[in-house]
Amino acid sequence: MAQLQNLPDELQLATEAHVKYIQSLDSRKDEYEYWLTEHLRLNGVYWGLTALHLLKKPEALPRDATIDFVLSCQHENGGFGAAPGHDAHMLYTVSAVQILALIDAFDELEKRGKGKAAVGKFIADLQNRETGTFAGDEWGEEDTRFLYGAFNALSLMGMLDLVDVDKAVDHIKACANFDGGYGLTPGAESHSGQIFTCLAALSIVGRMESVEADKLGKWLSERQLPNGGLNGRPEKQEDVCYSWWVLSGLAMINRTHWIDRNALFGFILRCQDTEKGGISDRPGNMVDVWHTLFGLTGLSLLGYPGLDEIDPVYCLPKSTTQRILGSKD
Amino acid sequence: MASHGIARTNRSRTEEQRQQDLDRIQKYRDLDDQIQSHVKQANYSDPALFQLTTKILRLNPEYYTIWNVRRRCLISGSLSRRSAGLWRSRASPSTSRSVTTKPSCAASSPSPSAATPAAPATSPSPRKDGGSGTTPEQKKEDTADNAEGKAEEDEKADIAADTSVVQAELNFTIPLLIEFPKCYWIWGYRSFLLSLCDAILPAGAARDFWVAELALDSKMLTKDRRNFHAWSYRRFIVSALESTTKTDGSDDVGSTTTPKSMTESEFAYTYSMIKVDLSNFSAWHNRSKLALRLLDERGADDAGRKKFLEEELELVREGLNVGPEDQSLWYYHQFLMDHITAVGAKNAAESDEKGTTKELIAPNLSLADRREFVDREVAEIKDLLEDYADVKLIYEALLEYAMAYRAMGESDGDAANQDEMMAWLAKLSELDPLRRGRWDDLEKSLKV
Repeated sequence: MAQLQNLPDELQLATEAHVKYIQSLDSRKDEYEYWLTEHLRLNGVYWGLTALHLLKKPEALPRDATIDFVLSCQHENGGFGAAPGHDAHMLYTVSAVQILALIDAFDELEKRGKGKAAVGKFIADLQNRETGTFAGDEWGEEDTRFLYGAFNALSLMGMLDLVDVDKAVDHIKACANFDGGYGLTPGAESHSGQIFTCLAALSIVGRMESVEADKLGKWLSERQLPNGGLNGRPEKQEDVCYSWWVLSGLAMINRTHWIDRNALFGFILRCQDTEKGGISDRPGNMVDVWHTLFGLTGLSLLGYPGLDEIDPVYCLPKSTTQRILGSKD
Repeated sequence: MASHGIARTNRSRTEEQRQQDLDRIQKYRDLDDQIQSHVKQANYSDPALFQLTTKILRLNPEYYTIWNVRRRCLISGSLSRRSAGLWRSRASPSTSRSVTTKPSCAASSPSPSAATPAAPATSPSPRKDGGSGTTPEQKKEDTADNAEGKAEEDEKADIAADTSVVQAELNFTIPLLIEFPKCYWIWGYRSFLLSLCDAILPAGAARDFWVAELALDSKMLTKDRRNFHAWSYRRFIVSALESTTKTDGSDDVGSTTTPKSMTESEFAYTYSMIKVDLSNFSAWHNRSKLALRLLDERGADDAGRKKFLEEELELVREGLNVGPEDQSLWYYHQFLMDHITAVGAKNAAESDEKGTTKELIAPNLSLADRREFVDREVAEIKDLLEDYADVKLIYEALLEYAMAYRAMGESDGDAANQDEMMAWLAKLSELDPLRRGRWDDLEKSLKV
């Protein structure tokens, strides 16, 4: 890793700028964009907070205010919305659980929230008991993102027994394609994001036996393009967020060495705004907190110096998942 | 919060720009506040709420809660009579925080169809005397009091009104979908509307909507050939159209409902997409998903299945001759070759080492046939090297198929000898240094 210290300034990780950028996100209430993205607020807190933990600045957002905000998004039925007044949905419920896991605050859910049992029930009720997959909310849209979210949150709360794991695993198998990858639903094209959700769900329940690791590893490694960045599907453009979706998949099948580490480091670091902080999808574009997190998780998975280690299955720091689930090694 | 492809600009604003932002924020938050206050009172049948959702969704179609509010408005207002009970549990957020929930069919509801752009307030509401403004119980009495003919007329008027409400909703989302083709919530809302059609309209009328939806989907796929939302949605529509609940459309009354497969036409659709753009892996993927079903439905015999493999290989090879750098083509080629080289592929169901069974395109190919196939492909691929000696995917395929050939077993010889394979591997390592770790692993396994 010594050679990284010799990289030009723009290829050093601008840690301080990124911390400031994330801290500034909630003070942008005079920007129209802040209000247009309210439907992502709770996800945004998770993205920002996880990024800060990776940057080893876990205290950079106030813990109490974070818990207050998370709980203000909870509904009577246990589910969480994106912000107060927004409907409950799997995507936000998972973010809420992840945030509380990250800051070790499950007890607050019991003290001041609706309790873990209600959250678990909200999630479990979204399982389609016939096919095993999960809906996002009461309106019934189903895809593997929600299945993964359910496994992620329930396992962190120790409540996986509320759902039919075997059926869900069968459903994931039905989403597999000839190229070794997985799609959003049975029949859908392989996509790196869905490969992450399917592999991580299988990892959580220790059911990786059906994964065609060599075939999938080949497909995932072919995502790296000459500029070092990764794309999400064949013949598409690179994007920093795939640094996470592709790389975490490779990590779960122990093949991160099938792509070029330094080339990806270079690509992610070129996407930084070194002055004002944040990481963008491609060099020179607008930064956002989502790409900031997934740039950092990519760097972390490949062992970039000075970053906390990320868990490829949960997208939480390993220190967090080890505290909650015990060491898997 | 997730920007894609937007150039980084100087993030500081002039005072004028700041003021403009503040004005826009004021308007947006105003709209949102008004909606929230309606929602707190569970005022879903108020046409004003419906109109507010139109305004805010045009500003921000990612605001998923508002799509849900709009669904509740439809169920509680414009469509409440025929949809009553269908989504009753969802007529107010099941998640509501200390909200007094009104019944979905609030008797005080004003002319419900005024809530949608399709039915201007000036046109008489077809359901004034027993539409959504009436509880099911009242409706029952009304019907009993009326002459039977009148009830039938009412029914027709209701269907016509519901049809126009659904049509207006679909129209409303089109410009949004065109501007935000990757917004999950818009696609989700359209699929909700389509399912609603099935629930409240006669089969023929509902089917017309699904048919039109397939045309819209094709349009979306000409705008972005790889949009995975549009491809998924396409499979959803096709499977709905194929389902037994849908009649032929030409005959509403008493027709027998034979499910009509669309495999042939969808297979042809993938071809038309590939012709436009060989790199469209989404189309190749869909082709791979349709192949087995197509052969089953054609009742293809062994010769027909062999011919199918030949034709498909020919098709993809034509592409490779002009674009050997295209991963899409190689993946489809690999798909076909997997069906030829599959280990132990002598019976209809081949069981791999994972214990799962895989259905094959041509399950009864003899070992000699299979060898011939691989030999021919390997020879063709080697020919590519004459023009494209530096294309790494060619070496990758050669190695892959040479190994698969070995695994087929009982060979007089190999498709390639060890030296040839090691030479290809060396070339791969040289041409594709990004994946050197993978080539190193492969080298280890080849030496074993």
